[in-house]
Amino acid sequence: MDIMSRVTPPRAVFVDHPVGRTFGPPHDRARNQAVLTRALAELANFTRPGGIRDPGFQWSPDGSRAWEDELRTEMLHHH
Amino acid sequence: MPLEYLPIMARNSTPKPPRVLVAPSKPSWRPMTKPLERSRVALLTSAALRLAHQQPFVPREDLSYRRVSSDPAAGAIVIDHHSGIGRVPKQDPEIVFPRTALAAVVKQGIVGELSPCHFSFMGGLRQHKEIENELAPALAGELAKEHVDLALLVPY
Repeated sequence: MDIMSRVTPPRAVFVDHPVGRTFGPPHDRARNQAVLTRALAELANFTRPGGIRDPGFQWSPDGSRAWEDELRTEMLHHH
Repeated sequence: MPLEYLPIMARNSTPKPPRVLVAPSKPSWRPMTKPLERSRVALLTSAALRLAHQQPFVPREDLSYRRVSSDPAAGAIVIDHHSGIGRVPKQDPEIVFPRTALAAVVKQGIVGELSPCHFSFMGGLRQHKEIENELAPALAGELAKEHVDLALLVPY
């Protein structure tokens, strides 16, 4: 969201998943399709350039945000 | 509160200065001219991915792009992007490039039709002027040539 709000694409849908896993965990075709369908459904709701829609995607079914620490470690470790 | 990526990217970019995010002075906007169920859709990805037989992208400032068949059976996808987040999407590129999911929603009638190909380029480039003046117009021209109504960019 911090990047998206600064680069102002014409229409943006925020997917609150780890970066690089936008459409879900590997090999989960049902989830890939669910995210895509939900994002496309937002198209009709854009009324102005630069709008961001947040459909409320969450990575973990229980709402845990433990993935943030794991991802941060992964990104910094790689460097 | 969503995860903030900019501080992580700033730490990763050292000793180079953090990347500067550039926004257009005015966000572009084209009204939808057709409903989704009659629109032709293409994917755009900044993952620097390609079909295995295509020429590899060259990290880190490659301004080229690849046409990638929208047919999920067209062959395996290779991700050339150097980002540290690549370990997982390299196991299954569909999670950043939902070629199969898009083909499925076309079959279901949610989306009108697939563009014959999707387009891939390298994200994270620092050559903003060249992106704006060369890469973006070239991609826009390709999309127009394929009569694409709607382009869905998946950032990487």
